[in-house]
Amino acid sequence: MSTYLTLALRYLNGRKLRTSLTTLAIVFGVLLIFGMNTVMPAFIGAFQANALAMAGQVDATITSKSGEAFPESVAETVAAVAGVRVVSGTLERGIGLPADFFDQDPATADRLTAVTLVGAVPDTIRSIASFNVLQGRFLEAGDGAVAVITESLADEAGLQLGDTLSLPTPIGLTDLTIVGLLPQRLLPGNEEVLVTLSEAQRLFNVPGQINVVDANFDTANEAARAQIEADIAAAVGGSFTIGVLQPGAEILTNIGTAQRIFTLLGALGLLMGGFIIFNTFRTIVAERRHDIGMLRAIGASRGTITGLILIEGLIQGVVGTAAGLVLGYGMGWLALAAVSQIGRQLLNIQVGAPVVTPGLVVLSVTVGVGVTLLAGLLPARAASRVTPLEALRPSIGALAWRRIAGLSFWAGVVLLAGAAAALVTGNAGLLALGSFLFIGGLILIAPALVNPIAGLFSRVLALAFARDGTAQLAEGNLSRQPTRAAVTSATTMIALAILVMAAGLITSLAITFTEMLENSLSSDYLLVPPTVAVWGVNTGASPTLAEDLRAVDGVDVVSSLRFAGTQINDVAVGLLGIEPQAYTQTSGLAFVEGDPETAFREIESGRGLIINGVLQASAGVKMGDDVTLLTPTGTVTYKVVGIASDYLNAKTTTGYLSQANIAADFGRAEDVFYQINLKPGADRAAVEAAFKQALQPYPQFKLVSGQEYVDQNRGIFDAAFAGIYAMVIFLAIPSLIAMINTLAIGVIERTREIGMLRAVGAARSQVQTVILAEALILAAIGTAFGLLTGLYLGYMATSAFAALGFPVTYAFPGQAMVVAVAVGLLFGAFAAIIPARQAARLDIIQALRYE
Amino acid sequence: MSLIQTENLAKVYGTGDTAVTALSQVNLKVDAGEFVAVMGPSGCGKSTLMHLLGGLDRPTQGRVMIDGHDLGDLPDQALTALRRRKIGFIFQFFNLIPVLNATENAALPLLLDGRPKAEAHRQAQAWLAKVGLGDRQHHRPDQLSGGQQQRVAIARALVAEPALVLCDEPTGNLDSRSSDEIAGVLRQAANEWGRAVVMVTHDPRIAAYADRIVFLKDGLVTDETVLDPQKSGNSALIETRMKAMA
Repeated sequence: MSTYLTLALRYLNGRKLRTSLTTLAIVFGVLLIFGMNTVMPAFIGAFQANALAMAGQVDATITSKSGEAFPESVAETVAAVAGVRVVSGTLERGIGLPADFFDQDPATADRLTAVTLVGAVPDTIRSIASFNVLQGRFLEAGDGAVAVITESLADEAGLQLGDTLSLPTPIGLTDLTIVGLLPQRLLPGNEEVLVTLSEAQRLFNVPGQINVVDANFDTANEAARAQIEADIAAAVGGSFTIGVLQPGAEILTNIGTAQRIFTLLGALGLLMGGFIIFNTFRTIVAERRHDIGMLRAIGASRGTITGLILIEGLIQGVVGTAAGLVLGYGMGWLALAAVSQIGRQLLNIQVGAPVVTPGLVVLSVTVGVGVTLLAGLLPARAASRVTPLEALRPSIGALAWRRIAGLSFWAGVVLLAGAAAALVTGNAGLLALGSFLFIGGLILIAPALVNPIAGLFSRVLALAFARDGTAQLAEGNLSRQPTRAAVTSATTMIALAILVMAAGLITSLAITFTEMLENSLSSDYLLVPPTVAVWGVNTGASPTLAEDLRAVDGVDVVSSLRFAGTQINDVAVGLLGIEPQAYTQTSGLAFVEGDPETAFREIESGRGLIINGVLQASAGVKMGDDVTLLTPTGTVTYKVVGIASDYLNAKTTTGYLSQANIAADFGRAEDVFYQINLKPGADRAAVEAAFKQALQPYPQFKLVSGQEYVDQNRGIFDAAFAGIYAMVIFLAIPSLIAMINTLAIGVIERTREIGMLRAVGAARSQVQTVILAEALILAAIGTAFGLLTGLYLGYMATSAFAALGFPVTYAFPGQAMVVAVAVGLLFGAFAAIIPARQAARLDIIQALRYE
Repeated sequence: MSLIQTENLAKVYGTGDTAVTALSQVNLKVDAGEFVAVMGPSGCGKSTLMHLLGGLDRPTQGRVMIDGHDLGDLPDQALTALRRRKIGFIFQFFNLIPVLNATENAALPLLLDGRPKAEAHRQAQAWLAKVGLGDRQHHRPDQLSGGQQQRVAIARALVAEPALVLCDEPTGNLDSRSSDEIAGVLRQAANEWGRAVVMVTHDPRIAAYADRIVFLKDGLVTDETVLDPQKSGNSALIETRMKAMA
């Protein structure tokens, strides 16, 4: 065995550049699959850590499935259940803090982006959990604007016992006197600010309401505890859950989607990697025909030869996979580092290190090594069929003209038909499968299309290189080996296909998003809370703020959003309360189904709900359906009157209803987001000054002009697009190498022929021209196929978005097509440089003698 | 029974109108320790004969017996094993693996046969020393001259102690001094080491090292001449015969 290993290593070592670049293809695929899949569990882990911390040390935590508040009486219901020893009802809400709230210093990153305000009845909460007061005292019944906080929070805010802690609340900036200090917080999750229940109810404007019931049981017996939990569930009813519901649960659904998209990209990367390896191994087998023939002549069996080639594949697969794992972990780490700030601000979670599970490692290794071995298998089998006679006779540039319309051609046609069918279904899973079918089908039918396309392009080239017949020679070289020509051009095809696909998708997304962006955020001013789109963690403002804003001279319309959480068919949903009249003047929804006027009228006149595409897809709800929404007090039925979305909430499961309904059914009257239009000719400077005045008690809101906000969001897009293009380039480099490889095989196999050409008087430049022409024809074929594939894949990708509930209008990437043609042909010319020089430099005598 | 024996050996390429008879009715016997040269004009069937003797190609008719085995009866695997153990090949273009050094190249047949690496390398080095390359054991092919590369190939052909060594134009790619040296080593393989050596060549001077010359024309054996290695003028004699055939 060691002999084969030695041979494999020496061969690989002899072609360092090629080895490393082909290995790069595997590295890239594994990196994407492994890296992205380590990020997702890190997110989930952070969510769970938060949930556990919230649940604390109690036996059971009872919350509403909607995440909303409910009457204090529920705590009594729980306490009445047999086996429940003590119960504590609390009102707990996250308060997102504006940037630089405590330190007032934009230069240093904020460590605290949110705190949780906990309103509790002092005696009952002490009966359920112990509080070790280090300084001062604990809360007492009848306390007003006082708070107990941890030492770590006090340090962070630079406060001491007796100082005042200011927090943004719906009734404005509120001052709390610190009366007690607790030990530093060790659990993950937000720092807590303890106040009395009545104070919390006053601050959040929900008198008589709590949103968490903690209970301890009087038994440690597992079966008895399960019985008690079941009894509690029965007592409180179906709209409650035992356990904790997280704000931002709807974001988890999105992370899952993103993970699937990246896994698909990784799979495409690996497919391409496998193809490049396949191509390289064909080169290897062609280069070594004589070595292999000799080995067969001196007694190596077919199995030995197959094994030899496969070992080389295995080495590349193992090395590539290992590097992919390491880089993937690094990428996961970087990605998490980049989003940890956002994670804290947006979701109030502390994202940890990438999570590596044994299963993921096994999967990545299997896929990475498996693809390499699979790609090496065909060439290895071809190698084993090299007869010992190959060692004895000079290679006779394969004269057999391949029969074209063979089995593989028809198999390709079938795959393409399957891909077309997938497009019609509009099912995301089938569409992903369709993209693989399409690429596979195109590769299979490509050999049959090489001759006609090569003929066509050689005529074009003949015009360019007139007279000397080199174009015809190049065409002849290609059409006598259509399979190899197809394989070579397929490398260009895949690279360009990905480019065109990315461009198609990005253009479509950009156009759709820009339209939505301008449609929904084009108001003159916006009041933006610390976190946008994950509304639940924001502290809004009571209706008085909106009244104050309306009173400012020059203001025409003020529209606001009110948030409540709910569940539809077990899917976490964010509800946004709007006033249709004001909303349509300052913002707007992009409708996919339903008539805007009717829909807005229906949400005002009755229990009508407009849902967005993501919600439609994930909850399986259709236009016109009656849906059951969980409320703090039970359930309520709404009718779906439209499918539409705005820009900010396009990615999360969202429903829109009237502010009257959100107040009646969910008890919410708190505004979390404002859009304001001015009267024509209003004095902007004066208006802005007045706004700032009105906003002073509400530091949680930031005043921005609509245009500024739109520009900011465009910037985010541009950055994301640049990242995607960088990935495309990443994919394109290995395919360039593959093309150089295949052109090089052509030169190796035709050494004698080139020597003959030179002997009969062809100049070096003419030999170069033949190779260049060949490369250009190949690139042209690859480009043609690549454009076709890219258009399909791009269309497929936009359809997949639609299938996932996010309708995107397909935009034809015209500019990208032109770029792709230029890149494709440049590719060909560039790939030809090395082999062409190699051919031109051949010593005539040596070449003629070449066996 | 001779070491190599062919019976009415024939090879036809193609069928119908395009059929070409490369070899017909060849009855050849070669004994251990005998050095036979096969000569004839281009296209006479020399190479085809070599391929059939080495089990690289299968005859259309007749049979090839090597050391009592009928090659026609053997499946691919067994034929491969037979090549590994009983036959050594020497090619015109040396055909060494470029990434392996002299010792590793020479040791290949033993390694392919599953022998331990240390033993294989020891034997390969012993053979390299016998063919006069004791001081070039760790050189790669591109660091050796043509003559030296062909010696490595000879060491590789002999390392498994085969009964038969087949050489296809072994000096076709070498200058005359190297050619003489290589022919001398082949002579030695027959005389001292007791191998049956069959060599195809164009060169009367090299053929003169053999014990016997088999002349082929149009796929038929037209003449056989036994040489007395002690006598001078053998190469002139061969040249005369060649001209008579043409």
